[in-house]
Amino acid sequence: MERFVRSESAGKKDAVALEQCIMEKGKPATSGSKMLNNFTAPFDAEVVSRLNATDTSIAGRVEMREFAVGGSFFDTQFGSPAIEALLAGDAGFALCSDVFGEIRSKAPMAGLAYIHPTYGSVSRYGLIPLAASMDQIGVLCKGLEAGFQLLSKIAGSDLKDGAMLSEKEYEYTKINRRLRIGIPTKIVALASEADQTAIKSFCANFETENIDLTHFEIAKQVMTILAFAEASNNISRYDGIKFGYRANEYKNLEELYVRSRSEGFGLPAKLAAIMGTYVLSRDQYESYYEKAMKVRRLIKNSFEFDKYDLIVLPLSISDDAYENLSLYALSPLAGLPSVSFQYEGQGIQLIANSKDENALITAWEVAQA
Amino acid sequence: MLEISKYESLTKLNLTEIERTQIEKIANKLIVSFEDLREIDTKNVEPLVSVLVLQNVLREDINVKSISREELLSNAPEQYGGYFQVPKTLD
Repeated sequence: MERFVRSESAGKKDAVALEQCIMEKGKPATSGSKMLNNFTAPFDAEVVSRLNATDTSIAGRVEMREFAVGGSFFDTQFGSPAIEALLAGDAGFALCSDVFGEIRSKAPMAGLAYIHPTYGSVSRYGLIPLAASMDQIGVLCKGLEAGFQLLSKIAGSDLKDGAMLSEKEYEYTKINRRLRIGIPTKIVALASEADQTAIKSFCANFETENIDLTHFEIAKQVMTILAFAEASNNISRYDGIKFGYRANEYKNLEELYVRSRSEGFGLPAKLAAIMGTYVLSRDQYESYYEKAMKVRRLIKNSFEFDKYDLIVLPLSISDDAYENLSLYALSPLAGLPSVSFQYEGQGIQLIANSKDENALITAWEVAQA
Repeated sequence: MLEISKYESLTKLNLTEIERTQIEKIANKLIVSFEDLREIDTKNVEPLVSVLVLQNVLREDINVKSISREELLSNAPEQYGGYFQVPKTLD
């Protein structure tokens, strides 16, 4: 698969690359899967319509891990075609879907930033789904100010996405408010010394409060169970009949299904299908799926934004990618906006309250000054 | 541990030996980690289905143009006379 499929506007400074899960009418939308290799998008995603309506050029399409099933589970290196496209100067921005934190974790190391907006603020109409309760289109950018400008063009309610906030538009701007940053000290202490120094230096610009994020460790399990459950449901639509890959040889309908799915899906989709079906099965439903939904509520309720405006987190606390998943699970599980960027050579992540993206911009700008 | 063949049949997949080994390895690591969920007290906690407070969204009952039959069928692997084509389903 080509890592970047160029459009005419490729190379323009402000052009936007689209991950292969975001549909652009008449163009392939593979979502990183052989299953959709021959699929041509029959309509524009809402975000694409809004880019077109604001005369924003589309640079092309970037490849992705199959259905955005994150790298936390695999040893294989995939890199990030979206990041590569920005570094190569092919695009100024990329719109991505990043439930598992793969791009959020890698962007700062490449000197880029990533905005994961409040759940329900950007339409997913025309986004090939992974896990609907967490899916959110975000912006990969070179700087957060420009990134939020782009976000303001695509954010705002859309009747074609059934799970959205009611705000019709969003203005992202710096605010005059003294920001308080919550520092989860036990988690930060697990980061490298260089990361800890950068976090300390960043927080020196603000009032701070040491906090304890209860249920942090369990966030990775909750996300994995819920994301795989939803993903297994979403990819059950690929049956070799209505669209997508169909095997060449089959004797009957059952064989058509099995061969098409077995040949069309890669390991990420197969893992998601099997794990998702397992946690939803009668024997496991209560102890895994329903339990995970309950703990999700505890996680969502554990944030205390009356005590702080933002939470700071490192981008890595372990050599084990799965252990690190908790760092990236919090914002999708609770629907909260977050940004990750580079500060003094190290990656930092900030999480804000729902719809409080302006605290994120403000913190970033204050720290730049 | 995960009885993988049962889930292959439920998900309409036929894995290769290599895939089965890879998935089993990852799945078993995950399932061991899921045990930690038991430690969390969720008595009287309601499951959280969506982070949004969802309301019914209503619109006027007016026709809205959607995609055409031709466009819908254009991605079908096989079609015949305006229908999706499948192998014979009854003997």
